[in-house]
Amino acid sequence: MAEAAAAPASVQVKLVLLGEAAVGKSSVVLRFVQNEFQENKEPTIGAAFLTQKCRLEDRVLRYEIWDTAGQERFHSLAPMYYRNAQAAVVVYDVTKAVSLDKAKSWVKELQRQANPNIVIALAGNKVDLVNSTSSPAAGVSSDAEDEPDDATATPNESSTGAAESESLRQVPREEAQAYATEAGLLFFETSAKTGEGVVELFTEIAKKIPIEHILASSRTGNRNAGSGGRNQDQGVTLDANSAKRADACNC
Amino acid sequence: MATISTALRKFKEPTKDELTRLFFSIPPEDGAPKQDVKGKEKGGDDHDDEPKGQMDINAVLSMGQEGVEDPYNGRLYLIPPYLSFVSLDRKSVRFTIPLCTIRRVERLNTRTGVYALSLLFWHGMKIIVQLTALRPTADLFCAYLRDGLKSQLQQGNMKSMKTFVKTCYSEGLLASLEDGSSEKVDPSFASVDEAAGSFGKDDEPTYQGGLGLKFKFPGDPKKLREASKIKLWTTYLKAHGRNLTLLRYPQFTRLVQVGLPNRLRGEIWETLSGSLYLRFANPGLYQKTLDDNKGKATASIEDIEKDLHRSLPEYSAYQTDEGIATLRRVLTAYSFRNPELGYCQAMNILAAAILIYMSEEQTFWLLEVLCDRLLPGYYSQTMHGTLLDQKVFETLVQRCLPMIHEHFAAVDVQLSVASLPWFLSLYINSMPMIFAFRIIDCFFCMGPKVLFQVGLRLAILKINGEALLEIQDDGGFINLMKEYFASLGDSAHPESSDPRTRAITRFQELLLVSFREFSVITDETIQAERRKLRGEIISSIESFSKRAALRNLKSPRRFSKDQLGYIYDALFKAICIVPALADETKPTSLVSIDGAVDPNKQETRIGLQTFRIYLSEIATWARDEKVISNGFQERVDREIADHELIDRLFYFWDTSSRGSLSLQDLVDGLDGVLFNDLMENIEWFFNVHDKDKDGSLTKDELLKLSESLLFIFRFEVGDAYLGAVSRFMTNAFEYGDALLPRAEGEDEATTPSIGNNQPYLNVATFRMVVLADEILESFFSTDLSASFRLEPVDTTVPPSNSGFLGGLLSSIVTDDNKKFFNRFTDEIGKTIGKHQVVHRPSIGRQMQLQEPKARESLLTPTMRRSPSKASFATTETTTTEKSTSSQSLAPSTPTSSLGPDKTLPGTHATPSLPHVSFANAALMERTAFAIDNVKDDEEEEDATFGIGGDDDDQMMDEVDAFLEAHDSGLSAADQALAKGMYLATYCTSSDHDTC
Repeated sequence: MAEAAAAPASVQVKLVLLGEAAVGKSSVVLRFVQNEFQENKEPTIGAAFLTQKCRLEDRVLRYEIWDTAGQERFHSLAPMYYRNAQAAVVVYDVTKAVSLDKAKSWVKELQRQANPNIVIALAGNKVDLVNSTSSPAAGVSSDAEDEPDDATATPNESSTGAAESESLRQVPREEAQAYATEAGLLFFETSAKTGEGVVELFTEIAKKIPIEHILASSRTGNRNAGSGGRNQDQGVTLDANSAKRADACNC
Repeated sequence: MATISTALRKFKEPTKDELTRLFFSIPPEDGAPKQDVKGKEKGGDDHDDEPKGQMDINAVLSMGQEGVEDPYNGRLYLIPPYLSFVSLDRKSVRFTIPLCTIRRVERLNTRTGVYALSLLFWHGMKIIVQLTALRPTADLFCAYLRDGLKSQLQQGNMKSMKTFVKTCYSEGLLASLEDGSSEKVDPSFASVDEAAGSFGKDDEPTYQGGLGLKFKFPGDPKKLREASKIKLWTTYLKAHGRNLTLLRYPQFTRLVQVGLPNRLRGEIWETLSGSLYLRFANPGLYQKTLDDNKGKATASIEDIEKDLHRSLPEYSAYQTDEGIATLRRVLTAYSFRNPELGYCQAMNILAAAILIYMSEEQTFWLLEVLCDRLLPGYYSQTMHGTLLDQKVFETLVQRCLPMIHEHFAAVDVQLSVASLPWFLSLYINSMPMIFAFRIIDCFFCMGPKVLFQVGLRLAILKINGEALLEIQDDGGFINLMKEYFASLGDSAHPESSDPRTRAITRFQELLLVSFREFSVITDETIQAERRKLRGEIISSIESFSKRAALRNLKSPRRFSKDQLGYIYDALFKAICIVPALADETKPTSLVSIDGAVDPNKQETRIGLQTFRIYLSEIATWARDEKVISNGFQERVDREIADHELIDRLFYFWDTSSRGSLSLQDLVDGLDGVLFNDLMENIEWFFNVHDKDKDGSLTKDELLKLSESLLFIFRFEVGDAYLGAVSRFMTNAFEYGDALLPRAEGEDEATTPSIGNNQPYLNVATFRMVVLADEILESFFSTDLSASFRLEPVDTTVPPSNSGFLGGLLSSIVTDDNKKFFNRFTDEIGKTIGKHQVVHRPSIGRQMQLQEPKARESLLTPTMRRSPSKASFATTETTTTEKSTSSQSLAPSTPTSSLGPDKTLPGTHATPSLPHVSFANAALMERTAFAIDNVKDDEEEEDATFGIGGDDDDQMMDEVDAFLEAHDSGLSAADQALAKGMYLATYCTSSDHDTC
């Protein structure tokens, strides 16, 4: 019953990645877990599993990430992976408008079939393709200030040199943002290639997850650990050790 | 928005003959047009008469040369154009040889009573088969064999075979050996490092080989001991035939198990899988497929493009354009070959791996064998094969390793999260490639059971270290597996002092133990498990797609989840009977695969025929239900009614004027009528008949409307409705005429007044006319909406004819037999005067009004609470027992009431008689194909007596559900009147037997 237990409680958070084929789900995870990028990543068969620890305030979150196959016919397998998930990242490709439609249908499915308290984040991946001037849009939240290349300019305001690459963009940021707000999702534009937005994405999810709730349900009695307030500080430190352990094999 | 596929229902267990072909890897009968191979029944029907020229016989096989191999007892199969043999144990020895490779057949002059044939093959190999059967049988076999050989000669296959075998590596291998005329293999040929893909003489047609020839094979050739493997194989092939003429003796299996030499791997895979025969039988088809479909863009191609650079990217060939182009061609060609399947992720990995050892054409055919026969349904749209085999695997784990199974169940770990990719990509992505290829070697040699055996072995790997039992979640399991896979090359016994023991890798141990410990798992075991679990998998897939379809509806309108489910179920059932429109559903891979992305493209739309069946499920007046009692049983024969009103409704609901309806259209359409109140219903009915939507009916349309009313009322008891419609027409024409300067109204409904096409009656007038009549008012206020009933529809998967009993039952309870039985009992019923046919009324209100109990009793609190299901179960209970039986019957299954099949002691049945469940199931499937051309025969109404009072229960229940406490009862006077009428009809009809 003591307030804020001294030992940082390690909370396991099951997170599932969903989205159309080849939007970069596996790459986003790989960037988050190993801080790597592979140009030609083999398609995920069934699902891949990786783990990553995150420190948030005085607690340690252990993300158990299920990275699912994107092709439509694997759809029927998805419930196996999103059952009991506390968080979901639905990824689309900013250069492919149809991938947002697919993302929307995933969101719909999650909201109806998955864990009712699931935290869903929408991630528009591959923004590096539309941000030639390295002027990535900031995440919705304000905690990305330590990113060195994080300029404040939005893609629309970038120089004319970016105009051509901007034409690759098929999903306007505003449109996706509006949809995310309406559906109550976290929203980020990310680039697994440059790493932009990836850590922020997982950090915000961590903040939004009702950790107390998970703790309470996992071990009864210790439910009061930590204060209720969400801290706005940049609170995530990647644990290098755990990153080594989880390799990227698609098994 | 979504497709509704009934394809899974079409599955048929393979016949005995198909199983034999499967066993010998013989292509299905029609090599070239391969679509729907499994569904095709051979020789027209599945009776025992074997296809022409096909025969099997007991035989003893021995090699022509003395001392090469022991003779083996077995069975010889002649399946033109192939000759196959399998030893009695079904694994030691077997072969499948095209007849065209046989050059000479001789009957040997041996002692009397021995019937032996000597078969000489084109390259000089000789085998002797001794037919151990009665002489006439053996003679017949010889005759068939002769016929088979003759037809092969006539087709010129003997010649084409010669050119074909040159594409096989083994021919060159052995030729080079003969050239050198020494036992030593030509070094340039056996050399593994050499990349050239041609024989000694470069100008000769080269054998087909994979990318490995140019880009090197994975693994260190020295470590793999390629040279010595080639030597062993050369010796084996020399004595036992090669490619088309390969004989598989026990040594063959041993050689495969130690790993195939890289250069020979492709060919042996081809031979073992039987894709060699496909390639032989369809020369040039691969190239033709590519050429024919040049420039086409499909969803499959789009998917393939996404994955081309993501297929074994670490292998050097796939870092070049050449390798990528090869992969693209093969996958694309296959997607055209099998558009139903198209392309599934994991196939790219499989194809990329196979292409290392095989040419494009070889890979193409091997993919076909893999997708069709070895991994059936794995890569299909629904991936039902994958799901099924995962279930089978779980069952096997439960049986073989109960401890693991219990532990996994306790900590809620799903085995398939790890095992699914193993099966789907044949372990290629899970373990280092060189090991995966060796598993694939065994897979082709020993069958799909290998995947399960290895999988099981993996499942207990760490049991000694208890590691597996310490696992608490899915992730831990996966990580453990990953670690193990990475260590496959390590020594299994690193501490051993014996260097030979130390040299045994974990992989070798894995294989050894897999095959030794799980030898109980045979292909038959797996087949049996698949049979058992198939229904479960299919229904789970179907319920998944149902949920997806409902979720993807643009709008659920005012329906509850359950109601939408019933709408879907009825649609599904209708589609099972009459498939949805073909042009929209056939080439699933040729249209966009992303269902949600392009809703217009991938959407199941039904035509009028399907709609009629659909509506008969939903609307009581769209079906003719005859309650037939004949003294033995009482059953409900349901037939689909045919009336213009149904077609009219179809076009009325087809708001986008596409001549077809989607699920959304149906939901919208039903929404437009199910929740209506009196005024809305009047307007709705009006609009249905207002074809040009100008807000007024013409005289013609008014007549049609009246006909529609008569159609709906056709089975109602008594004259009340008939009278109401007559009054309606009188009034309508009177008022209509009052508004127009024209006087032609007559109260004869049947008078065909060739009316003009001028607007005649507007909706206000129509409303007035309807409201003037209490019966019509009552009809429009509740009965019309209530005649659309959303009820559970039985869509359970019919039991596959599995096992002895299942097969027996399904062969007895066929539709035909059922019908015959019904007819038979009807005849008896007629002779003993108990036969009675009663049309069940669509509305049934008049009946209900005659109830001795007051109408309120139907809406007792229990009734109000009970969902429509409960009242549905009581549908067939008879009037007299109704009020009591509605409660007692409520728990009975809803399925039974759809196919009520009970024996009757008399005309009036007590509903508690036992139901024959299998007969019910059969009845369920019995489709009411015959569209009864019942016109509006009002005369029949007099002769019928309704027992459908209980329909009212149900209807009331629906009313209750939809309109809450809206009580729409008639006045007491009406009830009294109706009661009198009921008694009158009842008395007359009880001794009035309609036939």
